[in-house]
Amino acid sequence: MNPLELTLGIMTAVGGFVDISELVFAAKAGSMFGYALIWVFALSTGGIMVFGEMSGRVAAVAKQPVFNLMRHRLGLKLGLITLFASLIANLITCAAEVGGVALILRYLTGAPYALMAIVGTAVLMASMWVLPFKWIERIYGLLGLFMLAFIAALVAIHAPWGKIAGGFVPQIPHGLSTKELLVFAYFAVAIVSAVMFPYEAYFYSSGGIEESWGPEDLPMNKITCTVGFGLGSLLSIAILASSAQLFGPANVGPELLGSSALEVAIPFGWVGLLIALLGMLFAISGAAIETCMANAYSISQFFGWEWGRHRKPWDAPRFTVTWIVLFLAALAIILTGVDPMQLVEYAVLFSILVLPLTYLPLLLLAGDKSYMKDHANGRFGKALGWFYFALITLAALGALPLYFLTSGGQG
Amino acid sequence: MTPSGPLKVVSQLLDLPLIDCNGNYCGIVDDVAFTGGAGKDARLDALLVGPGAYRGRMPRWAMWLVAKVAGDRITRVPMAKVKSIGSAVELTAAAEKLGLHNAEDRVRKHIPRVGAM
Repeated sequence: MNPLELTLGIMTAVGGFVDISELVFAAKAGSMFGYALIWVFALSTGGIMVFGEMSGRVAAVAKQPVFNLMRHRLGLKLGLITLFASLIANLITCAAEVGGVALILRYLTGAPYALMAIVGTAVLMASMWVLPFKWIERIYGLLGLFMLAFIAALVAIHAPWGKIAGGFVPQIPHGLSTKELLVFAYFAVAIVSAVMFPYEAYFYSSGGIEESWGPEDLPMNKITCTVGFGLGSLLSIAILASSAQLFGPANVGPELLGSSALEVAIPFGWVGLLIALLGMLFAISGAAIETCMANAYSISQFFGWEWGRHRKPWDAPRFTVTWIVLFLAALAIILTGVDPMQLVEYAVLFSILVLPLTYLPLLLLAGDKSYMKDHANGRFGKALGWFYFALITLAALGALPLYFLTSGGQG
Repeated sequence: MTPSGPLKVVSQLLDLPLIDCNGNYCGIVDDVAFTGGAGKDARLDALLVGPGAYRGRMPRWAMWLVAKVAGDRITRVPMAKVKSIGSAVELTAAAEKLGLHNAEDRVRKHIPRVGAM
């Protein structure tokens, strides 16, 4: 295992972990419920570690990405339903990320939002055209490390570490009305969805194939998933905790994406604001590329086309056309004038509905000895996998009722 | 698994990706064709690749939609061209020779060969 590769892999996972949904829901959760939802972030991070590791392991051992094997496992009809559902979920998520990029560019430049959406999408598409996979992953992941400013800000505001540590214990706050309890439950479901977005597994496993992983890369896969995703999740928790400390007591509801950046601006001034906005820009840009690529990967793998950005765009022509069309579709959604924050709500809602369909085949594949041989899930892996599958199924069943009962978390 | 030995068509062959002798993806096993007849041993004759091979595996209305969007071409890959069957089906010939890269080649013509690292 090359230590430099490992370090870069971990840093990339940290910088690439946070996306617009986590930013929005972490800040809102902190201001509304203090530290009481930290445990949900921690619990669902365990879930993405477990399924991320499985998807990387399947790619390294079976040498096939998840969606190729998913069709073989589910068959054509159920496979097509899964493909269609995940395409919609990922496209909405991609549009939300493109909207997020446009909002931050607007904060930074003052230029019109629609223009920034076009410019932002053009830059993202250009970087996907020009850069090979490893560079795309590393550049956006590493520049996303500007987000570490949120942890520095939490330290600088003298956070109540005892209360934050207490937030890791599963709890439901006392004294909430029925309505508030429903909102709390909605936020818990939304956080599970935002942390375990289905595109992450597709992207991660396809990335393993792009980088030609083999069984010798399994230790790196495990460390990247646990340490990288774990540290990445701490960023989200820092955003939540700062919001609980700064916004909650002042009854400020961070409804706008830019509100999160104020968490860094308060202790560090305009320099902090700039660093936070840059971190958010690169993290959300990376997520936009990941969601778009995840969709292009899924379609190409489902139909057996050439795919991947380790190849030149003309060497995987239908894959190339697919990601271009998907980026343009995401931009078109944004240019209709729909509020990106509303798209975040839809992305989270639709993704949680798709999650069980996404993760069940992965769980079955990773436990299948005919594909995985000695690297199939052991008892502990199976138990963890089924525990998280039960959790996301429960969350999926509760998502729609909670969305309507709480008017999308508004209470 | 060897292509000449016994195998479970649905669980071990259908919907697996095809990889040609150059390591390129070139389709999915969408259906299979048998030789033989009543009272005779059934033997796998060819793999069928392409949206036309979905017929019989999908409802009629869905097949109509597939044909409108993707066409209904079928490419036959003789079993003699199959090298091995595992998590993918490996072929002994190049995708171009088997007619499996026609769509990729058509699209490729429209993609400019500039700027990519």
